[in-house]
Amino acid sequence: MRNYFLLLFFIIVGSSIQAQETAMSASEITAFKEKVIASAKTTKTIKTDFVQYKHLDFLADDVKTSGKMVFKAPNLVKWEYTNPYKYSVIFKEDQLLINDGGTKSKVDIGNSKLFKKLNQLIVNSVKGNMFNDADFTVSFFKSSKYNKAVFIPKDKKIAVYIASFELLFNKDDAQVYEVKMVEPSQDFTRIIFSNRVLNNTVDDSIFSN
Amino acid sequence: MIRFLAISFLSIFGLASCSLKTTEGLRQVHFNKTEVENPYFSNSEIDYVYKAKIEVYGKNFGGILILKKIGPENHRIVFTTEFGSKLFDFQFEGDTFTKHFVVEDLDKKFIVNILKDDFKLLVAESAKVIAVYESKNQRIYKTQADERFNFYFLDDKSEKLTRVVNTSKTKEKVEIDFISSEGKIADTIAIKHNNIKLTIDLEKFKKE
Repeated sequence: MRNYFLLLFFIIVGSSIQAQETAMSASEITAFKEKVIASAKTTKTIKTDFVQYKHLDFLADDVKTSGKMVFKAPNLVKWEYTNPYKYSVIFKEDQLLINDGGTKSKVDIGNSKLFKKLNQLIVNSVKGNMFNDADFTVSFFKSSKYNKAVFIPKDKKIAVYIASFELLFNKDDAQVYEVKMVEPSQDFTRIIFSNRVLNNTVDDSIFSN
Repeated sequence: MIRFLAISFLSIFGLASCSLKTTEGLRQVHFNKTEVENPYFSNSEIDYVYKAKIEVYGKNFGGILILKKIGPENHRIVFTTEFGSKLFDFQFEGDTFTKHFVVEDLDKKFIVNILKDDFKLLVAESAKVIAVYESKNQRIYKTQADERFNFYFLDDKSEKLTRVVNTSKTKEKVEIDFISSEGKIADTIAIKHNNIKLTIDLEKFKKE
């Protein structure tokens, strides 16, 4: 009997935790967007650590990789994986500069619209300011811990790769602290940022291979 | 007589030139083993995760290769970019091949077929032995694979599988080299093609 009450207790507590996330009202959405846009405007540089989890349903554990990310306005981004291997990608104009454990290569993305779109997503998701992207339907949620924007692609070509794209924002400074990309198969990639430093000097030389 | 010698000499030369390098100069021996095994992807408890570097016709790209035994004679193989986007997702169950997903740029019949053959060879757990050869410190087990043959190289002392070579009757097609410190998990794997310029290098994720 006691166990039964315990179980009931956990079900109620569990469901109330889940219920904590609710849709934002129209006025909340406006206020939230303004805050994110204002924050993105004053963000000239970002340096942050990140941990990436690749979830595949058939695996026992998510595949974990980690590293550092550097952003410099308006559109320079460097992703650098340091664990368990060294690999970096620099997003620079219409090129990707890759250093795969010492093997350097360059990819032109100028003529691939889809690739450009995917990269634009990565760059914009770092800043969070991508609400005006016409290619996505956006919905907004809130909880006591975070604000959340969920992007669903309208373009069928993107929908083959991404079922939805979620950004989680800190409540106080409106910075993105988690990115989640869900595939049509429901497998997903989560990237969680930590130790974020804003507006320190970032030298341009970081963005060359 | 001279003509006979010339013919036999030419035929010997001809035969030698179209024989496999893999077994050249090796002694065929009697065998006590009917099956040869590849242990490297045979434990269903393990998520096998590798950093992959691929070089195809001078172009380099990389990613993460994830292999998992999900049932008897049943393997799932997923290749993603470093960012986690899937490039392909294959399943090998017995002789059945399922293509769960392939990114548009790779979804060409000849590419999928190459990948299918390579990974089938990589994860195949056991095969019936049809001949055995002996070298200085290795035993080489020959198995039949449809129209082709596979040769499994096992170290005499450690009994570790160090190499698998896929051949036609006369030519080596694909070579896979394994380096394993303890014999059950491969630390590095190198897949090399001889008829196309394609190499795949795999390095096991280090434990944290």
